[in-house]
Amino acid sequence: MIQFFHVYKAYPGDPPVLSDINLNVEKGEFVFLTGPSGAGKTTLLKLIFCAEKATKGQILVGGRNIARIRESAVPYLRRNIGVVFQDFKLLPHRTVEDNVSFTLDVLGVPRAEAREKVRRMLKLVGLEHKAGSYPLRLSGGEQQRVVIARALVNDPTILLADEPTGNLDPALTVEIMDLLTQVNVRGTTVMVATHDATLLSRYQKRTVRLERGQIVSDEDGVKAARRMVV
Amino acid sequence: MSALSKVTYFCRSAAVGLKHSPFVHFIAVTTIAIALFSAGMARGAARVLDNLLASLGGEVEVTVYLSPELDADEVHGVRARVLALSGGEVTLVSPDAALSRLRAELGDLGEALAELPENPLPVSLELRVPPERRNPDALLALAKALRAAPGVAGVDYGEAAVQRLSAIARALRFGSLVAFAVVLGATVVIVAATLQLAIYSRRGEIEIQKLVGATDRFVKAPFLLEGLLQGVLGAAVALFGLWAFGRVLGPTLGALFAFLLGPGVAAPWVEPRLALELLCAGCGLGLGGSFVAVGRFLRV
Ligand SMILES: Nc1ncnc2c1ncn2[C@@H]1O[C@H](COP(=O)(O)OP(=O)(O)O)[C@@H](O)[C@H]1O
Ligand SMILES: [Mg+2]
Repeated sequence: MIQFFHVYKAYPGDPPVLSDINLNVEKGEFVFLTGPSGAGKTTLLKLIFCAEKATKGQILVGGRNIARIRESAVPYLRRNIGVVFQDFKLLPHRTVEDNVSFTLDVLGVPRAEAREKVRRMLKLVGLEHKAGSYPLRLSGGEQQRVVIARALVNDPTILLADEPTGNLDPALTVEIMDLLTQVNVRGTTVMVATHDATLLSRYQKRTVRLERGQIVSDEDGVKAARRMVV
Repeated sequence: MSALSKVTYFCRSAAVGLKHSPFVHFIAVTTIAIALFSAGMARGAARVLDNLLASLGGEVEVTVYLSPELDADEVHGVRARVLALSGGEVTLVSPDAALSRLRAELGDLGEALAELPENPLPVSLELRVPPERRNPDALLALAKALRAAPGVAGVDYGEAAVQRLSAIARALRFGSLVAFAVVLGATVVIVAATLQLAIYSRRGEIEIQKLVGATDRFVKAPFLLEGLLQGVLGAAVALFGLWAFGRVLGPTLGALFAFLLGPGVAAPWVEPRLALELLCAGCGLGLGGSFVAVGRFLRV
């Protein structure tokens, strides 16, 4: 589903943020992307949905080489990728419902149909009673769930979540992670960037560890589980 | 997907934009309105000027002096020829008539003419040129053709006066065209600036639209629509202004200029044609401004 071949990313004037990344994520997989802050996790996710361009190397997403994709094809790629942003990117002057609906508005989904999908999505994340609220009136965990709802409302084949449990207390963390695994079980490929080690031990999934822009380990779920036991 | 839901989305988005920053849009609409109002006024002024030219030009007469040795038949032939060349009205002035007219015009001095042993004036033809030929080029061409005709000794018309008048009209027209171009340019810049503000105030929304897969066109459409809306509103305001101006001041102005233009100048200030032109110009200005803004500030 997602393949990286010798991918480099450098911002002009700085040492490379990512170097020689090779990665293969299968359809329906759940992958943790971990490593210390500044390791390049966010940058790697950004490459996948074309928010940044690789300096070198090839990236295939759903079989398409996005290193050579035309600018005009990017929107269509993004429609298949739901992104949970680290900084949420919710619109403060729009209701929860409108924020989630945003993804569908862009696609020109008729209003009634969009309403129905949004309602179902809000129910899934447990926020149907907050549909008319404004994001800033919500708690951090609730905002996080709105972002997830927006990312999922169009049934993307890939979900990228950047520190989705970043500032949440343990109870909310479990809630969010359960939601993400649920989505994964229904067939969506999920990549979660996190620096939270407790998350990794609780959910024994494939874990790709980045350090200073390089992949230092890539353990599948079984191996990760074994390491936890030892 | 559904084109209709996209269109309604764009309209809603543009309406939200207008509502979101009413002052900024008020400025843009006002600017467009002022530009179009001035254009409409210039149009009215140009019409007055045209009427003025036509009424002055009505006095342009070409005098054709015939060779003195022509007999009556030959005079008749030349007259027919001149008539054919000019397509206007031709009046034959006999030497006697010309002399008495000259005497009258000279007043006291005219008595001296009585002392002349014989009438030195030739037969002449006075020619009223049809309106479509009352411009310097056509008159010059006509004069040339007449001079070349056999039996014609000389041709005289208010060459300098006609040319000066036309030059003034041309200069006025050119000047107003330049002024208008400047106003249009400035209007586009102002509209673009207001839309830049609109784009800036909605940058968060634009960023997210792009991230969830909006095409460039989808992001840009509401702003273009907003510009178009500004143009339409501006044109409406300008037309209302012109209409009100015509209602309030039209009759007074008509009376004021009636001595120059004759009756019938109090034509309606706003005609359907003008309304349509101003509407199109308004749309053009709004769209132009938003194209500039979107092209420069929406590098998404
Ligand atoms: N736009 C940018 N310009 C320059 N450097 C950047 C930019 N974005 C990220 N970086 C740098 O790239 C490195 C990796 O950042 P990031 O991918 O956000 O790390 P992580 O998400 O793992 O904390 C950091 O050193 C950061 O300073
Ligand atoms: Mg990060």
